[in-house]
Amino acid sequence: MRVVAWRHAAAVLITAFAVLPIVFVVSAALNPVGTLSSSGLLPRGAGFGNLVRLVEETPFWTWYRNSVVVSGLTAVLAVAVSALAAYAFSRFRFAGRRAGLVTLLVIQAFPQFLAIVPLYVIFSAISDNWPVFGLNSVWGVVLLYVGGQVGVNTWLIKGFFDSIPTELDDAMRIDGCTHNQAFVRVVLPLAAPVLAISALLVFIATINEFLIASVFLTGDDARTLAVGLFGLLADQRNANFGMFAAGTLLTAVPTVLVFQFLQRYIVHGLTAGAVKG
Amino acid sequence: MTVTRTPARHDRAGTRSARRGGVFRPASARAVTARVLALGLIIGVALWAAAPLVASGNWTGVAITALATGAALYAYLTPRRLPLKYLLPTTFLLLAFQVFPVVHTMSLALSNAGDGHLGTKQEAIAAIETSSVRREPGSAEFRLTVAVKDDALVFLLADPAKGAAYAGTADGLRRIGGVTLGPGGRITAAEGYTVLTTAQASARGTEITALAVPVKGGAIRSQGLTRAYQGRAALAYDAACDCVTGQGTTWRADEEQGRFVAADGSALPQGWKVGVGLSNLAAALTNPKINAHVASVFAWNLFYAVAVVALTAALGVAGALVFHHPRMRGVRFYRTLIVLPYAMPAFAMLLVWRDLFNTDFGLINRLFGLHTDWLGTPLTARLSVLLVQLWLGFPYMFLVATGALQTIPAEYMEAAQVDGASAWQRFGKVTLPLLLLALAPLLVSSFAFNFNNFNGIFLVTSGGPFPSDDPTAGATDLLITYTFRLAFGQEGARYGLASAMSIYVYLIVAVISIIGFRRTRAFKEVT
Amino acid sequence: MPALGLAMCLALTACGGGGGGGTANGGADGDAPSSAAPAASPAGSAAATLTIWADQKRSETLKPFAEAFAKENGVTADIVVVAQNQQQTFVTASQAGKGPDVLVGAHDWIGNLVQNGLIDPIQMTQDQLAGYVDVARKAVTYDGQVYGVPYAVENLALFRNTGLAPEAPKTFDELVATGQKLKAAGKVKEIVGYPISQQNGQSGDTYHMYPLYTSGGGHLFGAKPDGDPDPADMGVGTPESIAAFERIAALGEKGAGALKRSFTSDNAAAMFTDGRTAFLVAGPWRLADARAAGVKYDVTPVPPFKGGEPARGFVGVQAFFVAAKGRNRALAQEFVTNTLASPEVAQALFDAEPRMPALKTALAYASGKDPDVAKFEAAARDGVPLPAIPQMVAVWGPFNNLIHAVVKGEPVEPAVKAAGKAITEQLGKTG
Repeated sequence: MRVVAWRHAAAVLITAFAVLPIVFVVSAALNPVGTLSSSGLLPRGAGFGNLVRLVEETPFWTWYRNSVVVSGLTAVLAVAVSALAAYAFSRFRFAGRRAGLVTLLVIQAFPQFLAIVPLYVIFSAISDNWPVFGLNSVWGVVLLYVGGQVGVNTWLIKGFFDSIPTELDDAMRIDGCTHNQAFVRVVLPLAAPVLAISALLVFIATINEFLIASVFLTGDDARTLAVGLFGLLADQRNANFGMFAAGTLLTAVPTVLVFQFLQRYIVHGLTAGAVKG
Repeated sequence: MTVTRTPARHDRAGTRSARRGGVFRPASARAVTARVLALGLIIGVALWAAAPLVASGNWTGVAITALATGAALYAYLTPRRLPLKYLLPTTFLLLAFQVFPVVHTMSLALSNAGDGHLGTKQEAIAAIETSSVRREPGSAEFRLTVAVKDDALVFLLADPAKGAAYAGTADGLRRIGGVTLGPGGRITAAEGYTVLTTAQASARGTEITALAVPVKGGAIRSQGLTRAYQGRAALAYDAACDCVTGQGTTWRADEEQGRFVAADGSALPQGWKVGVGLSNLAAALTNPKINAHVASVFAWNLFYAVAVVALTAALGVAGALVFHHPRMRGVRFYRTLIVLPYAMPAFAMLLVWRDLFNTDFGLINRLFGLHTDWLGTPLTARLSVLLVQLWLGFPYMFLVATGALQTIPAEYMEAAQVDGASAWQRFGKVTLPLLLLALAPLLVSSFAFNFNNFNGIFLVTSGGPFPSDDPTAGATDLLITYTFRLAFGQEGARYGLASAMSIYVYLIVAVISIIGFRRTRAFKEVT
Repeated sequence: MPALGLAMCLALTACGGGGGGGTANGGADGDAPSSAAPAASPAGSAAATLTIWADQKRSETLKPFAEAFAKENGVTADIVVVAQNQQQTFVTASQAGKGPDVLVGAHDWIGNLVQNGLIDPIQMTQDQLAGYVDVARKAVTYDGQVYGVPYAVENLALFRNTGLAPEAPKTFDELVATGQKLKAAGKVKEIVGYPISQQNGQSGDTYHMYPLYTSGGGHLFGAKPDGDPDPADMGVGTPESIAAFERIAALGEKGAGALKRSFTSDNAAAMFTDGRTAFLVAGPWRLADARAAGVKYDVTPVPPFKGGEPARGFVGVQAFFVAAKGRNRALAQEFVTNTLASPEVAQALFDAEPRMPALKTALAYASGKDPDVAKFEAAARDGVPLPAIPQMVAVWGPFNNLIHAVVKGEPVEPAVKAAGKAITEQLGKTG
């Protein structure tokens, strides 16, 4: 019992560190004066005015829908593509494997603000030929995000695949199963926790992504939360921080829901591994 | 342990089974169906993708599509080459959205691309001539009607002051009769001419903008679709001398600088993009204005990236371990709260943190009754940016470590327990090495990210505080923020120089990443 | 389950092939033909589409006008909100041939957009030009040519809590004395809400500091004969600029304590609306806050130093531009010069946000509706347009840092000289 008490104390400390700045955002969201006055946690005349204005004066729900669609699609696709690549890197030995792994890691270190110009060149060409995937298309940006996420997620998932004993899929193949079947029936279920975590990480990274979305999703119906909310701050001399803070908090809601939903897989993986292992 | 010895054995098994699948086992009906479907899908997508490229005569695009299609057909139709089947989607995505931007940037490093040097020489000449057209002072303003005669564009011009009507073409101006005037004195109909609607006219907008009706002392040009004015182009390009002349000056094309330069050294603002060879790359190394502070900035940059990785990983792993106990209750609740910093938009929270550090009004000083100038002195500013990044980054590590802990087989722990290992020994000998195995690549990638963490610095301190006697490099500057300021100023962009400098930064990150990587267990496994 | 589900589905297809066939293409082209794009709006080649880029607020206001114009002329209009980095995005997009026809933006972009050949001059008659207030006309004129149709003017002024300080201070020294008295009496917490630091980043705020700097005798650029700023005459590092910063330093953290780096535009305004300071230096964008908070206030020009030059604040002008690489340049000229330049548009924009209109007729309308407009107009009288020359790029960084150093209490002369040197070096590079 003493062990658990000590754990709770540590948990409370870490949680407090995580939550305190967010409490401050909550107070800004409730502050009727649209500035981040930075002076205290309890604004005078707190109320939900910012929230109401946000919903009434901006196409907030369109932004919301776009963000959830883009992030959800990106999460699903990125995890699927990464899991495939991770399987190849974990279970096959082929020429260029090592170089490929290093490339995956290093290629992502390129500063993004410089990449905007070449990406624009690509999207401009795509727009001319296949407008479905071009500028202001949710699909094009989803592909771009997936491209940006596969590297690190391949690594993440590969690490976990490596820790699943190969004896398990060997056994499957002795039973006459193919690589694909071994992958689907053994490796994927055992890797459920990492797939869930990858999906969550991609979802979070995408829903908060701003730089690319602000350039490639400018159409009225195509904007995401990050872009829309930043629009409230864009006029730097007239930042509406109250509305912005309210929107920021609402942005976190889908993420928290996705996390709640995926938590069960994170834990489920433990028991599944124990039973089958 | 198991991981290091399996690969070799596994390799043989993999190849053998692949061959067996292709050679010995006759293809089942399902396999054939799947292969036919794959063939259809790939061909279908290829045709769909190629159609507009062929239509627009974009043969490079067609070649790329053909290449990609060939790769896909090869991968998915042969029974061999198994890894490629899994790797192809990743490869396509990386080539398009990661490799191309890097290569493109590198090509920019060899040019003078930047504000004032973005387009071609032709575009620059057009811009120079267009913006030099001045309205003749006191000249008449015409009411314009765009019309055609035998499909050739004509300006029907009404001068309300004189009550005269004209037809203007590139050949000149001619008085006409038989016109009907509408509201505002515009010509609505004229014999022998077909008046265009606005929609029709705007479809020929390029011609309209280009049409200049020559008259004495200038030309009549359109101003929109309903007005025209008499003006004169002050500057003109002369192909014979490859120069721009006007206002008593001659600006000669300088193909090295990509601009028109006069004898006195002054240049026209509109320039064009030219290749400059390796001079950007050389400037980044040799120019004292650029490299004066590189050593000190680099040292802090390295420390920052390593410290952020170490701190976030330590706190994240610690957090995950705290909850990794069968009797621990409320785990879901805690976890949800701890993930919150990661769920909030990072750029917004960076701005919030900056305000929390405010000397007079910030929450931190108020909570603790301090009057510390957090972002105003080098040491506290560095601590502050580290703290902010710790807050932003540890939930990521926490999540990954939580997942990693779940996959550590319970038998290992039980075995260790049976061997009589203490809790600390179990952690040090079993848990930590296994955790690191899973985390290592992420630590390297987190390092690479934080090494270039532009927002993390720029939105909080902008690189400051700066020494008052030298405002070029600040205490919290990373190479990337330092580069950004040098190459971009606040709004102007010098892509060529920025690209050259970013190539160096990139090389540094890549080398450090690979070195760091070699030292991890993950790399041993790769070898 | 969706995430896992799809990953598995894709993999299952791969498995079905019995060691070979299936496709596991979850990537680029896999789902292309079947999926309709909800957000894509391919430009119809049949009718011309006039594309307008604006920020959130302007796009809402301009939408009905653009639609009416489109309907009247048988074309379509598309207003696109570009939330951030508008200038950079415009440059990138235009260069790639994907830019708008009309851009709504700030006049100080003109220099850069002209050197990139991305905006067209707008040929207005003398009569039309005479319809705009002087400072707006000057601001959109660059190198003797008009490049934008101005619609609003923004400048700094002094907000004063009339409950705390009934009399408008004649000099900045008087203002500080009043503030100090109020602070000593415990009526306020701060002498003046003067934004020293930029909202976006921990560096000084040149825009807000400029009135005091000019009042102290400093200048950034001299003027060329045609009225454009002259980069050859750069005033930072001159004895006058050092003197100006000495006066600023005297009010700084090691001096009177009126100017502090902890003030940003945001918290200074919050301080004022909470009644914790009697004075605030801000622009018309703070009027809504002051009214919402119910503070009794008055607006007067930013006062000069005692015995100093007039305090010449920067004036920013908002304008409409015609993109040189747009697809419908003629149509865009038509829309900008005839529709957007109309008093109706200027009034609608004013109704949406109380900024001083640039068009004289609209200004009269606005002054009638809102007495504060005339007060800001008076405050703009000594103002100078924010320099639109591309060389301003070289100024911001060093000057921002200089402000911080001086207000912090570092030795003034070396700091000013170092900033002057940094600017000159940057100018050499930019020029």
